[in-house]
Parts: sequence; C-alpha cells; structure tokens
Amino acid sequence: MTSILLAQEFKSPTIEYAKVAPLLIVFGVAIVSVIAEAFLPRRFRYPTQVVLSLGSLAAALVVTVGLAGSKLLAAEGAIAIDGFTLFLWGTILVMSIISVLLLAERAVDGGVTAFAAQAAALPGTEAEREAQARRLEQTEVFPLFLFAVGGMLLFPAANDLLTMFVALEVLSLPLYLLCGLARRRRLLSQEAAMKYFLLGAFASAFFLYGMAMLYGFAGTISFSGIAAAIGAKTGVDGLLLAGTALVAVGLLFKIGAAPFHMWTPDVYQGAPTAITAFMAACTKIAAFGALLRLFYVALGAARWDWQPMIWVVAILTLGVGSVLALTQSDIKRMLAYSSIAHAGFLLIGFVGVRDHISANTSAILFYLAAYGFATIGAFAVVTLVRDASGEATHLSRWVGLGKRSPIVASVMALFLLAFAGIPLTSGFMGKWAVFSAAWQGGAWPLVVIGVVASVVAAFFYVRVIVLMFFSEPAAEGPTVAVPSVFTSVAVAVGVAATVVLGLMPEPLLQLAARAAQLVG
Amino acid sequence: MPLLFPLVVSALLFAIGVYGVLARRNAILVLMGVELMLNAVNLNLLAFDAWHRDTLHSGQILALFTITIAAAEIGLGLAIVLLLFRTRRQINLDAVRELADREDTDREDAEVRR
Amino acid sequence: MTTSVSAMVLASEQAGQASGVFSLMWLIVAIPALSAAVILLSGRAGKSWGHLLGCAAPIASFVLGATMFFAMLGRGPEERAVEQQLYTFIPLPSYHVTAGLLLDQLSVCFVLLITGVGSIIHVYSVGYMAHDERRKRFFGYLNLFVAAMLLLVLANDFLVVFIGWEGVGLASYLLIGFWQHKPSAATAAKKAFVVNRVGDVGLSLAVMLMLATFGTSSFAGVFGHVGAAGTGIATALGFLLLLGACGKSAQFPLQSWLLDAMEGPTPVSALIHAATMVTAGVYLVTRSNAIYDQAPAAQTAVVLVGTITLLMGAVIGCAKDDIKKALAGSTMSQIGYMMLAAGLGPAGYAFAIFHLLTHGFFKADMFLGAGSVMHGMNDEVNMRRYGALRKYLPITFGTFAVGYLAIIGIPPFAGFFSKDKIIEAAFSSNVWIGLCALIGAGITAFYMTRLMYMTFLGHKRWAKDTHPHESPPVMTVPLILLSVLSIVGGAGLAYAGGGIVSWLEPVVGEKHLEPPLSVAAMTALTLAVVALGVAAAWWFVARREVPVEAPVKVSPITTAARKDLYGDAFNEVVLMRPGQEVTRGLVAFDNRGVDGVVNGLAAFVGGLSGMVRRVQTGFVRSYALVMFGGAALVVVAMLLVRLS
Repeated sequence: MTSILLAQEFKSPTIEYAKVAPLLIVFGVAIVSVIAEAFLPRRFRYPTQVVLSLGSLAAALVVTVGLAGSKLLAAEGAIAIDGFTLFLWGTILVMSIISVLLLAERAVDGGVTAFAAQAAALPGTEAEREAQARRLEQTEVFPLFLFAVGGMLLFPAANDLLTMFVALEVLSLPLYLLCGLARRRRLLSQEAAMKYFLLGAFASAFFLYGMAMLYGFAGTISFSGIAAAIGAKTGVDGLLLAGTALVAVGLLFKIGAAPFHMWTPDVYQGAPTAITAFMAACTKIAAFGALLRLFYVALGAARWDWQPMIWVVAILTLGVGSVLALTQSDIKRMLAYSSIAHAGFLLIGFVGVRDHISANTSAILFYLAAYGFATIGAFAVVTLVRDASGEATHLSRWVGLGKRSPIVASVMALFLLAFAGIPLTSGFMGKWAVFSAAWQGGAWPLVVIGVVASVVAAFFYVRVIVLMFFSEPAAEGPTVAVPSVFTSVAVAVGVAATVVLGLMPEPLLQLAARAAQLVG
Repeated sequence: MPLLFPLVVSALLFAIGVYGVLARRNAILVLMGVELMLNAVNLNLLAFDAWHRDTLHSGQILALFTITIAAAEIGLGLAIVLLLFRTRRQINLDAVRELADREDTDREDAEVRR
Repeated sequence: MTTSVSAMVLASEQAGQASGVFSLMWLIVAIPALSAAVILLSGRAGKSWGHLLGCAAPIASFVLGATMFFAMLGRGPEERAVEQQLYTFIPLPSYHVTAGLLLDQLSVCFVLLITGVGSIIHVYSVGYMAHDERRKRFFGYLNLFVAAMLLLVLANDFLVVFIGWEGVGLASYLLIGFWQHKPSAATAAKKAFVVNRVGDVGLSLAVMLMLATFGTSSFAGVFGHVGAAGTGIATALGFLLLLGACGKSAQFPLQSWLLDAMEGPTPVSALIHAATMVTAGVYLVTRSNAIYDQAPAAQTAVVLVGTITLLMGAVIGCAKDDIKKALAGSTMSQIGYMMLAAGLGPAGYAFAIFHLLTHGFFKADMFLGAGSVMHGMNDEVNMRRYGALRKYLPITFGTFAVGYLAIIGIPPFAGFFSKDKIIEAAFSSNVWIGLCALIGAGITAFYMTRLMYMTFLGHKRWAKDTHPHESPPVMTVPLILLSVLSIVGGAGLAYAGGGIVSWLEPVVGEKHLEPPLSVAAMTALTLAVVALGVAAAWWFVARREVPVEAPVKVSPITTAARKDLYGDAFNEVVLMRPGQEVTRGLVAFDNRGVDGVVNGLAAFVGGLSGMVRRVQTGFVRSYALVMFGGAALVVVAMLLVRLS
C-alpha cells in the first residue's frame, strides 16, 4: 500500500534555474560572504569580501546579458523574466558594481573604509578609540549590500504580491542597517537609520494592508489574476480602490515621492555617502520597476481610477523637490531634494499614458539609467571633498572649489548640469524622452508643470556651480582627497555615461525601446 | 460570520497601530504600533482566505510570510533602538532630531554642540 | 500667402544633400567648438597663444562660409539650400529626430554675419583685453559662443536649434559675469540666465508640441505639416516661439536683463548683446515663417511686442548717462524694429533680416567705439564725464560718427535703407503701427545725437587724471572695417545682385504692399522726423553746458526712463513684494541681489521654500503623520474619483 502511494506521480513546481541565475548568484554569494565574515581571519576579510562582491555582481551581469531575449514567467509565475526585468537587472547590477567600488574605497579616509570601526562601540568612548586605533573595519557591509542588491533584483521582477513583498523587505532591511554604519558623524548616521527604519516599517505596513485588500478583491495574489479580476468582478470595487491606494503608498515611499518623501533628506544626509549613492540610484530604479509592473500589469485596467491620484502626487513631488532644494545649505540634502524632484519627473512619464505603455516604459527605463549614473557620480564626488571632521558637505565649504580643484569641480558641474537637463548631457535626453512620452499620452498639463519645475531646479543646480567657480575660496577650505582607483573608476564611469548618453543616446534608447515589453 | 466583522476588527487594530506610531514617543512602543498594524493585516488576510475558499491558501501563506518578516523586522528594529539607547541613554524619539531643515545658525549651534 | 508657404516647403524639402565644398559644412561649427575646447582645457601653456587661436577659429569659419556663399551664388535660386545629416539623435519608435545642418539663403546671411563681425570683434578684443590676465579664458568663451550661435542658425531641426539656443545662453552667462570680482556683474549674469530660462520654457514647450503633433521637429517636417494641422496648433506654436524669442532678444516683457548685461566686457556687448545673440529671436520668428503665416493672432502679437519694445528702448536710451546702457536701450529698440517687421509676414521678413544685418554692422561699430572711448578714459562710462573727445580720439570719433549716421538713417549710410523699408512696410500694414515706428525713428535721432554730443563735442568734463588717447591699431582697424561696412552695407545689400529681398525670397516668400504714400514721400517724411529729432537734441542738450551731475529736477518722464520705465519697479511691486511678504519673518534666505522680474519670482519661490521646509522638523513622528495624511489623501482621492 505504502509503496503504491510512494510511487504515485505528482507535479513538482518547476523553477527555471537558468533564467533566475542572476538572483541565485547574488543571494548565494551573499550567504557565502556571511560565512566568510564568520570564519576568515580579520586581515583577509576585506579583500575577500571585495572580490566576492565584485565577482558575483559581474557574474550576474554577464548572465543577465546572456539572457537577453527571454520572455517567460519563471518559478510558477512568481517571477517575470522579460525585457523590462532584464534591462532593470542590467542597470541595477552596473550601478551596484559602481557602488561596491565606493564602499570599498579606503584611500580618502586614511586607509580605512567609510564604515564604523566597530558598530557596537559607543561613539566617544575608550572602546571606539581603541577600535579606531586598531584600524578595524566593519566588513559586514558587503554581505548586507549583496542582500540588498538581491532584493532590488527581485523587486521589479516580482509577478505576484507575495514575491513583491518579500523583495521589498529583503531590499529594505539591509539598507536600514547600512544607513547606521558611518564611521564619521555616527550620531547622525544612527538617527538616519532609526528614521528610515521606523518610517520604512510604517510604509510597509500600509503596503501590506493594501496587498491584503487586493487579495480580498481578486482572490488571488498573482498579477495576471488581479488584472483578470478587474472588470470581471463587481460590487467589491471598494477593496480594489483602497488596496490600490495603499500599495501605492508603500511604493511611492520607496521612490521618495511627496508626501511620502519626508525620510529622504534626513536619511540621505545622515547615511554614509556611499550608501546614499547606492540608495539614491538603485532603490529608485528597483522601486520604479516594481511600480510600473504592478500598476501597468496588474492594475492597468483600473488606470482611470489611479491616474488622477498619481497626477496629484507627481505635481506635489515636483513642487516639493524643486522648491525645497532652493534653500538647502547642505550638498547631500540638496541632492536628496533633487532626487525627489527627479522622482516627480519620472512619475510624469509613468502617468502620462493613454493607450500604449511602451513609449512611457522605454522613456522611464532610459531616464532611470541616465539618472542613476549621474547620481552615483555626484555622491562619489561628495565623498572626496573633506576636512578634518570627514566630508565637508555644507555648501559654504564648497565655495571656490573650482579654484582649489578644477577637475573635481568640473566633474561635479557636469553632473549638476545633467540633473538640470542641459542639452548634450544624459539628463536632457532623459527629460525629453519622459516629457514627450507623457505629452503624447495626453498629460500636457503635467509636462508644462514639469518644464517649469525643471527651470526652478536649474536654478539651484547652477547656484552650486556658481558657488564653486565664481566665488573666492575660503581661507581654510576643505581639501580634495586623492581617491584610489575604486572611486576614480566610479566617477569616470559616471562622467562617461553622462556624456555618452547625452551625445549618442541612440543605442540605449533603442535597447530601452526593445526592453519595453512586460509579460503577464 | 459576515465578512464585515473581521474586516472591521482588523481596520480597528490597524488604526490603533497607526495611533501608536503617531502618538507614542518611546521607540519601543512605536515598534509595537507597527507590529499591531502588521497583525491587523494578518487577520485581514486570513478572513479573505476563508471567504474566497482559496484552494491555494495564498492568504494563509502570505500571513505566514508576514509573521516571519515581521519577526526579522522587529529584530532589526530593536537592534537599531538598542544602538540609539546605548549612545543616548534614552529612546525618546522626539529627542532625536539633529537631521532636519533648519536655519544655518541653528545648525552651526548644533555642530558646536556635537 | 499660400504661395510663400509652398515655396518654403518646396525649398526645404528639396534641400539637396551636401556635396563638394558644402560637405565641409560641419566644420563651420566644429572649428570654433574645437578651438574653444583647446583653449579652455590648455593650462598655463595656452596663455601665450590662446588669443591667436581664438581669432583664427572664427576667421577660418568665415572663409569656409564665404566660400560656400560664393558656391551658392553659382547655383539657381531653387538649388541653393543644402542639407547635411550628421547623425540620428532620437530614434524612438514614435518619433525620430536627426541632427543635421541646413545652409540656405537665410542661414548663410547669419553665418557670414556671425563669423565676419565675430572675427573683427575677436581681433579687437586682443587689444581690449590685453591687460586682463584671464584673456585666454575670455577667448575660449567667445569661441564657445560663436560655435553655439553657428549651430543655432545652421540647425535643420528645432531640437538642434534648442541646443544652440542653450549654448549661446550659457556663453552669454559666462561672459556677462566674466569680471566676477564685480558683484554687479555676477548679479547681472544671474538675471540674464534666469530671464533667459523663462524664454527657454517657451521654446522647449514649442518643440515638445511639435514632436507630439507632427512626430518630428525638423524644419521640413514641421513646415510641411503645419498647414494641415489647423490654426490652433499654429497659433500655440507661434506664441510659444514668441516667448522664446522675447527672452533671447530682450523684447517686452522679458527685456530687463539686457541693460544689466552691459556689465560684461565691451566686445561681449558688441558681439553678443548687439550684433548676434540678441537677434536670435528675430531669426527664430523668420525661420518659422511657415508657422506664423498660419497664425495671424501670433503675428499680431509679434508686431505688438516689437512696437512696444522699440518705443520703450528708445525712451530708455534717451535718459541713460552710461554710454553702454544708452546703446543697449538703442539695441532693444532696433530689435523691436526687426520684430515688428518679422510680424508683418512675407512683406516684412526680408526687411527684418536686412535691418538685422545692417544693425549688426553699425551697432558693433558703435559698441566697439564706446569700448575704445572707455579704454582711453580709464574705463569711465558716464557720458557726463566725457566731452570734447573729438580731438583726442580722431579715429574713434570718425568711425563712431559713421555708425551714428547709419543708425539714425541718413542716406547713403546703411541704416537708411533698412529702417526706411521697415517704416514703409509698417505704414502699409497699419497706419498706427507705422506712426509708432516713425516716432521711434525720431527718438532714435534724439538720443543718438545726445550721446554723440555728450561724448565727442562740447567741453571737457573729465575726471581728474584722465588722459584720453587713441587706441592701438589692433582696435582701430576693426573699427574702420566696421564703419566701412556701415557705409556700404546698406546699399550693397539693397541693390547688389538683385538685393536681399529676392535673395531671401525662396526661404521666406515675398509680398509687396503698397504704402499709403509714395516711396519718395515716405522717405522725405522719415528724414524730416529724423531731422526734427536731431534738432530737438541740439536744442535740449547742446545749447547749454552739460551738467556733470545728473540734474535731479527733471520731468516725470525722464525719471521714469532713467529707471528703465519702471520695468524693475513694476516687477518689484507685482512679484517681489508679495514674495517678500511671504518670506518675512520666516526665513533668513540669501536674497541679496534679488531684483527684476524673475528674481522677484525667485524670492517668492525662495520664501515659499522657507515656509514649506519648516515641515521638515526632524521629528520622526511628524514625518509619519505627514505620511499618514498622504495615505488618507490618496485613498480619499481614489474613492472620490470613482464616485464623481
């Protein structure tokens, strides 16, 4: 009897391992590097971790490129592998490789990384001084970083609510910790971690509540099931509407859209700058990917219900980002508000859609890539301008930087011009793509507001450039640290991408256009 | 049982959780507020699962995942709060506001104090 | 009117592919761009040769342009337009933008003006900036400007025009603020930048509208389709382009930056803020003639803007004691004439370009003359401190006098031919507009005579230790060249080889309107008004000694004109005061140097920013409250949308 029972066939779930290999590589190596952290002697940890991180991300990138052209639902429909996913994977992986380089930088701060010598040692105590003196480093940042990257890869690929929630948490939890691990200004860093964590958890709860409602509405958690239920089911529309609104809260929090943006400036300022760069670029890319997939694939049929809401959010975001950036006196806070404004521009492209989503999707993909490179580059430059207490982020310290270090100041100016959307930089092409897609989608009032906001935004970017080049440097200004090859490469890649995408956007635009296919 | 009952109870629980987050100054109590919100969602999920007679039991699975992730989240949250407590000897959230938009003079004062 | 449109479409669609000498078209732009890059990136080494390279680049472009001009002369009128595709800029499936250059009868005029006058001014700058240790950088910026300006006029696509447009804005910004140690220069640069951005919004929206409506922003595509798109689209495009043109060409109501822009070095004022960049708006309107011909309302707006500005500029020019600002007021006024002409449609386009070219000659001549005077007078700009310079600066005086006769329109000097045509065309279209243009000519004669008298005639009113001396040949030779152009340019353009009107006809069309009086009578009338203006100036200014200090007891009109006709005050009351009310007590935000229209807005936005940022208190729970409010808002918004 038992043997008959045991011989019975059942259909096991199929996992297309080859297709999800990038995810598996990143997560697998993340676990390996946790183990390495536990067992390797201290002096081997840093090189091992750097090699492991760079190697795994590079391998994942190679595999992603090899997957080009795939279009399927993997892992029983939980993960969508399509052009959209692969483009975002590629972008996120390239950005994270650059971020690892920033994380691994040791030259600018006296031969140690920018992370706390020993996170458990209290600031200002004997224990910390000892840890500093022994030149300890917290190499746990690398596995944490890899887990966050893994979550970011999963986030835009998730094709059901459960996977999306897990991805959201996997990407968020390591980031909360990473924010609190700065070597300098530890109190600020810890405050940033606390704020990010509490608000992030609060937003996740809303997201989850929304998910529960969507599940209650459709009776299934798969995106295609929800899409099918819209239109077919009547009488429970309240659940759909409330659910849509609440999941939107969770996603809009991650992309830093107003009025869910409040964490952004505080966290960007307090977190270690390398982590800020990583968050500003990769989190935004992953979260926009997830937003597009959820709202276009699952909730696309309910577009007329959520579009007005996103309009309001987009306008608010543009206003808050570009107006508040005007009066900032700290470069990291200014860049934070600038990233909020960019979320607004992206939302314009997201919401200005009438019949075909492909133009909007490809415009957003291009914008995300262009923005990501410039952002990481800009924050990388911020890590270089230093004084005795660490990074000199107050804008008054940047006065006359052009005289002190023309190259660093010019590079920063290039990134700022790209943010401002000046022609012949990547930012210009990105804005054009997004605005014209939205215009064709009939959202011309939003485009007008967007253009006005970009004028206001240009004002504060140019203010920094004027500060750097047209003012006399202060007597005891900050020094510009000479970085190792790591940061130099990161900045160089940012500069190259900004210029190339501005002058010859064609290849990437075509790639984005081909990638603008969402399965499901 | 009408579907309304669990939904209302969970909405109330969620609201209490939100109140806890907004009204409490103690970081631990704020964390508890978040937990309450998550538990409200679990109740919701189970109710919908039963209501839909979902053969895949997606609701229950989702609830299990939520519980697990909430546990991870609270672990991490407590670690951060502990860090805060060790450096400041208090966990009053209102006392933690070095990072904010304020006038330059204020900030310089703050920097001097630090 | 329709014939002109079809002629236009024909011309641009049939623009041949570049071959032979025309295949070097891209070099016209590339040479100054490359030279700018080399000069700006070269370190100390560039100090000794930077200015030489800087001069060589526009001259090389000029030689190329002139060669192509003669090659064009050898072709039939319909085969003269030549296009060169460079590369595909935006290949999105929904639309396609290719970057290319178009050399036709219109753009070749600009190429020759920019590189010709530009070269002369470059040479002049070698002398003028000789004592400035940042001369190398100055030439780098000038080359950058020339490259961007050439890209602007040679582009065959509005998107590429926009890139050049931003480029000249950047160069202008850098050059106005070149003497950054002067706070006034920095403020002026900022003001110019901000006002220009407002204009840029118009142009960028126009391009967006083109892309959305026609799927392309190339000249051929847009002009080919605009006829079928209906008046609404054409009118919207017309107004948006006009906004752009107003910003760049300092036309009402975006005129306030030009007077402040005189803080830049004088060659910059001559090249950018008189001869070339500020006329880009006229180019834009003329180039878009196919659009404006479909949009009578937009044309009327162009005429009104031009008329208002020409009177405003002239009145401001009467009251300024700063020689450069008086000339700047005059520039505003003259560009007003061009805009007026361009708004008249095919009857006026050619005259607008004609006046633009002659104005480029004589205004550059006078600005450089003013620079030469300042050079000899310890950089004094107050005309009340001049006087009797005729004997001390003979060459400058002679060349300036030529410019003077040209601008007030005395035959046979250049301005006579071009300005008379505009006044004639204005009268033919509308008597009131014509009268305004005529009165403008009278006022021009008044303020130019006043300027001439206060500077070169009368008695010495110099400050102590002033020893005026004639400038070196490197500065006077350019002056002589420009004054020769100011003498022969008008007649040459009007008559040589059929004249400029028939030359431009394939691009802008032609329509002859009958003036209400005979041409001879019109000319006589204009000359009489000019004579009246000169006589009035003599009566008011030359009859008695010019006071060294500006008189305080003056008529309200003079007071108003001295204050730029309350342009800034108006902005202050309407825009800045409410902004400051918002700001008051809330924020200690850096408002220094805030003035003028858009800076008033900036104060407002800054105040708003100061107010809103108070929300960012640092209390994590208040952040959570805002988020919760946002979530409630989002839910309610969605439910409301469904219910309504």
